[in-house]
Amino acid sequence: MGRGGARDGAAAAPPWHSLPDEVLEHAFSFLPAAADRGAAAAVCHGWLGAERRSRRRLAVANCYAAAPRDAVDRFPSVRAAEVKGKPHFADFGLVPPAWGAEAAPWVAAAADGWPLLEELSFKRMVVTDECLEMIASSFRNFQVLRLVSCEGFSTAGLAAITEGCRNLRELDLQENYIEDCSSHWLSYFPESFTSLETLNFSCLEGEVNFAVLERLVSRCRNLKTLKLNNAIPLDKVASLLRKAPQLVELGTGKFSAEYHSDLFAKLEAAFAGCKSLRRLSGAWDAVPDYLPAFYCVCEGLTSLNLSYATVRGPELIKFISRCKNLQQLWVMDLIEDHGLAVVAGSCSKLQELRVFPSDPFGAGQVLLTERGLVDVSASCPMLESVLYFCGQMTNEALITIAKNRPNFTCFRLCILEPRTPDYVTRESLDAGFSAIVESCKGLRRLSVSGLLTDLVFKSIGANGNCLEMLSIAFAGNSDLGLHYILSGCKTLKKLEIRDCPFGNKPLLANAAKLETMRSLWMSSCSLTLGACRQLAEKMPRLTVEIMNDPGRTCPVESLPDDSPVETLYVYRTIAGPRSDTPDYVQIV
Amino acid sequence: MELELELGLAPPNHAGSCGKRGTKEAFGIDKAGLPLILRDDDGDHGSNCSDARDWEMSNKKKRLVGWPPVKSAHRPRSNGGHVKVKMEGVPIGRKVDLSRHASYHQLHHTLRLMFPSSTSHHGDPYAVTYEEGDGDWMLVGDVPWEDTVMSAKRLKILLV
Repeated sequence: MGRGGARDGAAAAPPWHSLPDEVLEHAFSFLPAAADRGAAAAVCHGWLGAERRSRRRLAVANCYAAAPRDAVDRFPSVRAAEVKGKPHFADFGLVPPAWGAEAAPWVAAAADGWPLLEELSFKRMVVTDECLEMIASSFRNFQVLRLVSCEGFSTAGLAAITEGCRNLRELDLQENYIEDCSSHWLSYFPESFTSLETLNFSCLEGEVNFAVLERLVSRCRNLKTLKLNNAIPLDKVASLLRKAPQLVELGTGKFSAEYHSDLFAKLEAAFAGCKSLRRLSGAWDAVPDYLPAFYCVCEGLTSLNLSYATVRGPELIKFISRCKNLQQLWVMDLIEDHGLAVVAGSCSKLQELRVFPSDPFGAGQVLLTERGLVDVSASCPMLESVLYFCGQMTNEALITIAKNRPNFTCFRLCILEPRTPDYVTRESLDAGFSAIVESCKGLRRLSVSGLLTDLVFKSIGANGNCLEMLSIAFAGNSDLGLHYILSGCKTLKKLEIRDCPFGNKPLLANAAKLETMRSLWMSSCSLTLGACRQLAEKMPRLTVEIMNDPGRTCPVESLPDDSPVETLYVYRTIAGPRSDTPDYVQIV
Repeated sequence: MELELELGLAPPNHAGSCGKRGTKEAFGIDKAGLPLILRDDDGDHGSNCSDARDWEMSNKKKRLVGWPPVKSAHRPRSNGGHVKVKMEGVPIGRKVDLSRHASYHQLHHTLRLMFPSSTSHHGDPYAVTYEEGDGDWMLVGDVPWEDTVMSAKRLKILLV
């Protein structure tokens, strides 16, 4: 602390509280974590000023928590900004279209105040072609554009980026809804352009000009990440790999073709040349016969994303079992229990496992049960993050898992049928989830499911001392459940609840808690308008948004206090109520 | 004979364990819906089936939205979810991604934005129809939303 004194060789170092700004700023540059920088800024006015003037990276977790212009004014030296918009449940269709979260005000403010901006990342926001055009023309050293789960733009907007951003290093499009205007956006990269390191267009539905792509890949010698879309046929994947053997991450696209031995040989040879490949993903309407083409890269893989792959059976399992250094595995439940048992035996370095449902609305024919998760938890000592969809669970399994893996930081279990009890004892799963929170002292994220009473929330409230995000659905029996959570869980940031019998009392009793959190989502619970009004009045620094069915709109002022509230979304903000609400959202 | 219906905890023989036939399957009620209890007041269970089916038809719209919590990209899609939409009297069609909508209400909202009442129909009542796999045109809203997403090949908005 305060070591700048050696600067001019003076005999006595200046006291730490009168260090020049450049020294403070230099010291702060060693604090990468925003939380640490925030703590430094809180020390005194001098440090506040030095910190905010020198901050390079800004993460805005809720685009409505602050006004864009205020953020830009406060942190004038930002080079990389990330802004997130819609609530998490928007991913599952619980937020109707035109809700808000427009990126335009942020882009406009950035264009004005951050001309040296290099990186911009938007998640769950509406990004228009005009936004992309403004980005392309406003920042002369723009390098990284990341759009995750966004919508509102088309390939015409992408063309503006590829044409205008001469120093672009990363174009990362993850799970966006992109309108296909058949614009040859890829062709707008100039022939002299060679700086690309990441190109991810896996979510794009339309065709791209393959010759253009091939030339681009050939000349960008620093290309490390290439994630293709479904329009690239399998033989072209092989050609691209031969042009870019230095790839570290590959998204294969559809990867579907009839088996032909010469195509197999081509692929095998192409992969053999990729000595640096560590991360593999793809849509994989794959024919199992092609999987052996990957065998030569298996040992080097640290991440495997088969979450869209419908491939199943012994070839799949043989393939995964060769990936001895796997740290991250995302797979469909088609892997079944016996497949996970093999994973448990082969992938001892596994840190993250996600198992997705292949047939979410179906008859539950897949043989994936609690058994698979128990096996993996027993044999993978570094496993700390789990997302698991399955049809059945027992308390015994959960207790075993908790004992095996006290190091969980993220545990998300989704039993497909709401309110499913322990299938052996027919009891609630309170005991099982309680074991998880009691054992996993570092748990930061938890999603619960199955039949659960208020008691599990008592456990979570008391033991979830690091818990930051909690997702609850179809659980609890009374207001007590919500009260346990809000009065416990000291570090809770995001709480999302649907279809639970939680009412007004715990919300009002714990109103102050909500200001310590980023946001609260409650849908299909037992809330009424009167309580929401009271909450809004009591807590002026919260925005209390009510959302009703888009088909039924009437001014909230005219409704009585006892009107039921379908969806409540509450978040803290220093910007006051937003002015861009659609007609089905009302701020009380 | 009255059938009393209520939402509540699923009875023990009814929970969603794989492959087990519970009350819902016996009555032909779709598995993805809320677990529902049928109570027949006068204890006569013999003729439940047809009543249950009638009741089920009228309650089909109470299907769970957004459950299980998988992103639309993970849901099975026949054609990427995009279908063409044409409106009677409007020369240029649009495309909409059904898989990014979780309910009829959301679809109607999007269609209202795509075809505002200033074009052709001046706020007249309209019906949204879709073409099924076998070429028939059906009224949107009769079957559960997920079924429409899977089977609709294109949409046509007709003036009523």
